[in-house]
Amino acid sequence: METIVALATPAGNGGVAIIRISGEKSNDILKSLINENVELEPRKMYLKDVHVEDIVDKCLVVRFVRPFSYTGEDVVEIHSHGGFLLAQKIIEQSIKLGAQLATPGEFSKRAFINGKMSLDQAEGVINIINAETEMQLKAGSNLLQGKLKDFVSLLQNQLTDILAEIEAKLDYPEYEYTDQESSDIKNRLSTIKSQLESILDDGKQGQIIKNGIKIAIVGAPNVGKSSLLNALTNSNRAIVTDIAGTTRDIVESEYIYKGIVFRLLDTAGIHESSDVVEKIGIERAKNAINEADLIIKLGDIHNINNIDVDKPFINVINKIDLEPNKIKKSKNYVNNNNEYNTIYISAKTGENIEELKEKIFKETVKHELKQDKLYLTNTRQINCIKTCLERINNAINLIDFSTLDLVSFEIKSAWTCLGEITGNDNNEDIIDKIFSKFCLGK
Amino acid sequence: MGTINKNEFEYDAVVIGSGHAGSEACLALARLNKKTLLTTLNLDSIAFLACNPSIGGTAKGQLAGEIDALGGEMGKNADKSLLQIRVLNSGKGPAVQSLRAQVDKVVYHNEMKKTIERQPNLDVLQGEVAKILTENKKVVGIKTAMGETFKCKAVVVATGVYLNSKIIIGDFEKYTGPNGFEASTKLTNSLINLGHKIRRFKTGTPARVDGKSIDYSKFELQPGDDSIQGFSHFKNNSFNEPSNSYFNNTLFNQNDINSNCSRIDNKTNTLNRVPCYLGYTSTAMHDLIRENIDRAPLYSGRIHGIGPRYCPSIEDKIMRFADKERHQLFLEPESANTDEVYVQGISSSMPCDIQRKMYRLIPGFENVKIMRYAYAIEYDCIDALDLKNNLESKIISGLFFAGQINGTSGYEEAAAQGIMAGINAERYIDNLTPVVLGRDQAYIGVLIDDLTTKDIVEPYRMMTSRAEHRLILRQDNCDIRLTKIGHDIGLIDDETHSKFCEKLSIIDKVNNELNVIYSPKKLEKLFIENNENLPKNGLTLHECIKRNNLDIFKIKNHFNLFENVNNDILEYVNTEIKYEGYIRQEKELIDKMKSIENITLPEIEYKNLSGLRLEARQKLDKFKPSTLGQAKRIDGVSPSDINVLLVYLKLKGII
Repeated sequence: METIVALATPAGNGGVAIIRISGEKSNDILKSLINENVELEPRKMYLKDVHVEDIVDKCLVVRFVRPFSYTGEDVVEIHSHGGFLLAQKIIEQSIKLGAQLATPGEFSKRAFINGKMSLDQAEGVINIINAETEMQLKAGSNLLQGKLKDFVSLLQNQLTDILAEIEAKLDYPEYEYTDQESSDIKNRLSTIKSQLESILDDGKQGQIIKNGIKIAIVGAPNVGKSSLLNALTNSNRAIVTDIAGTTRDIVESEYIYKGIVFRLLDTAGIHESSDVVEKIGIERAKNAINEADLIIKLGDIHNINNIDVDKPFINVINKIDLEPNKIKKSKNYVNNNNEYNTIYISAKTGENIEELKEKIFKETVKHELKQDKLYLTNTRQINCIKTCLERINNAINLIDFSTLDLVSFEIKSAWTCLGEITGNDNNEDIIDKIFSKFCLGK
Repeated sequence: MGTINKNEFEYDAVVIGSGHAGSEACLALARLNKKTLLTTLNLDSIAFLACNPSIGGTAKGQLAGEIDALGGEMGKNADKSLLQIRVLNSGKGPAVQSLRAQVDKVVYHNEMKKTIERQPNLDVLQGEVAKILTENKKVVGIKTAMGETFKCKAVVVATGVYLNSKIIIGDFEKYTGPNGFEASTKLTNSLINLGHKIRRFKTGTPARVDGKSIDYSKFELQPGDDSIQGFSHFKNNSFNEPSNSYFNNTLFNQNDINSNCSRIDNKTNTLNRVPCYLGYTSTAMHDLIRENIDRAPLYSGRIHGIGPRYCPSIEDKIMRFADKERHQLFLEPESANTDEVYVQGISSSMPCDIQRKMYRLIPGFENVKIMRYAYAIEYDCIDALDLKNNLESKIISGLFFAGQINGTSGYEEAAAQGIMAGINAERYIDNLTPVVLGRDQAYIGVLIDDLTTKDIVEPYRMMTSRAEHRLILRQDNCDIRLTKIGHDIGLIDDETHSKFCEKLSIIDKVNNELNVIYSPKKLEKLFIENNENLPKNGLTLHECIKRNNLDIFKIKNHFNLFENVNNDILEYVNTEIKYEGYIRQEKELIDKMKSIENITLPEIEYKNLSGLRLEARQKLDKFKPSTLGQAKRIDGVSPSDINVLLVYLKLKGII
């Protein structure tokens, strides 16, 4: 397997950048980087001069010998203090020395291949790596503990029982399949169905934890979209000027409120424009609206926003600082005027911004999230559960008027979907169950 | 003056054993123009039905149909010896419907013997084979116990349960085959010396009782179906009916079932007149068995072989399912020429005195006379993991195995392997690529794939639940699936094949007619009569068939269509249409599966691939699967192990 290298810490200007190298060549690459032909003692930190081109930097280095490493292979880590640029140079040098740039998640993939973790554990690790909030971290670590697997296994076992009963009747026609059994199976399927639905419901929350909520701010030019974005995120990410049409691109920015990431899609002002560059921006704004979970229809005290959107939205009236006597009135609006879902703010002074955040939270997250709950955050797993639910529904619908071979087909498909999460799709389990439960044969 | 020609001892192939596997194997070889010798311990045991007098059953009916579609003999032979035939699971959907026939065990043997004797290129010889002769790991001949040597290029071992077989009845034990036929005592050692692993399996059979001593009034009558369809798709001589073409209606009614027929009468013995009976055990019987369980060889430790879970003896049923107050049993006639009745459900190895008492505790059996005691039988079989998927030994070239010696159970399973071993032995001799049926093509494919990739720990019986694509592997489409393959192999002759092609063109014609759009006005009466909502726009008849309350027969009768088309064909078309959506899903699954199925695995040191769970590493090293599909089906290899292999292969640049 190729030796791989990548930055193990987030890209950017942090204090320390850790470069991780994994694979057979890692130790040789290390020796070459520190310009010393010695075997460093494993799992011990050394302070060494790292030579890259004509730069020399003091770095902490450590090596791990397989299988006692994260990936299960020989691993080397270089803790560089020289900032992102130097780290980049060390990576380039490693590549020259025979490593390959790791693809995203490849270290975890190798850990998985080398038996350091199971597939759903690996998925959990990937979630942890990408975790931006504590809640995400928690959802990731629940997966690590195999909670999801346990729960899904439980449901799969229930399906195994049902399948065994049906299969026994199919393979042993001398044993009758009664209406009583049929309605009993239907009831049990319905119970499984509602359990799947609640996993999916929690899964939506899991998705919120993982992906955050996307909000598009739309409004006429210069009502203060960028100012609002800055007010919410406390930064100056979007360029703020007085000239209409300044924001040419969607500027993505985010803030965290009650543990949830809110991603703000700033949009170019929506109006007819002859400027080609801005036209592209307008096109993107429309895409942003499609993508968003919630729309902030931003207007100001002079320009009420009348854009039609077919998504959940909040009407936000900006620039109340220009007419201070409206502030009091706006407080009432926050609390009482739900009919128009309108809130008065000043992006400039920060008036009512916290209230807006709360309103956004209530509109989108709806329930308070619990940290210790089992949240499905992985698209693959969510799809498995969704398909499974669809199959169970089909089975329930078929059970009264169709033949048992088709009912069985649907349940077996549902069973297989769960198997993709639990890792068990061994048909023998069903057959074993048939014989352990029923007395069959001559 | 008597002379011996040297070429008397030279054959292309030798088939050892004349049971259901051996019969199919020798016929396939001879029909594919190989000079073939069939050896058997006893000529009177050719195609002997040692257990049930029955062919077919769930999944087994499909196997018999598939053997027939490929050009085998079992289906035709069963049709010639029918006593009663039924479609099982008729209410549970076409995917699980199977034919099951009661056959006359005397006629079955006689007919098969006759067919084998009359087959050109095929010689038959009674005698025990003692040794398989090899040179450089290749088969070169066989040696009999009497000392004669026959040269050949390929051998099919189809010895059934006869290798070192031992029957057990209570304390009584004897090294003998079923029914007093001799056991084969020398061949096991030869196989061991060649490098094959030997295991010991066990099975059993119930008593045969005198039909005259049964009080049938205490049993429930089980007649055959009103209309008869046979196993064979090629019905020239199977029935005494002029059905040479698919245009003729092969379904004919036998409405005169004699329901008073309390036992078989030679004079009334015609198709489907012979009933079976359903009865039950009693608590008194259970108590007796429980009290004497220490005398049951299964529980006293006398039996060491591994028995099948799906075919437990009555003592096993009672001990393992203690809460069941009674168990079903069926009375099946053995032959029109005997009063012996087979008691399905009550196999046992209890001592004779207990057997006498316990059978009499069955309601209706108060005065029953046992004619043959129930017994358990232990026998040697090989580990089928030592076989390739063409049923050839991985150790010795040209050495093929088929039937119970591979650890299966059942006549149909044996015959299915027999025909495939015969075909592949011919292809080995003629240097052709093996014929291996896929799991999506036939139950035969499922069977052989399971045998050669799974650790079979008990006698293997085919079940529909073993087939992942059973909506496609139906009884009604065996010929559609396999007859072209049979023709390509050479077992289906041109004439039969052209009749099959004629059937395909009729199916096309029927489908074309079903694609005609009918106006709502034209459909009105039909829809109202059948409680269907009237469509706003015109519908094709094809769409009409998909309606819950309609089918092709109602449409046929209403519009006077398909006058000369056989019901078999209409039934098939109907199923294909009703199941269209599901069949499409199955086919998508198959395509999806194929994308990984055929990925060839290189030599991998699995024990070093630590991403795999320990069990998977061990199993993969043991089975050395040649494709990822095979790896996937190995017991103990989980989908996440397959993911590891996939990632590994990707990283290795293999895929």
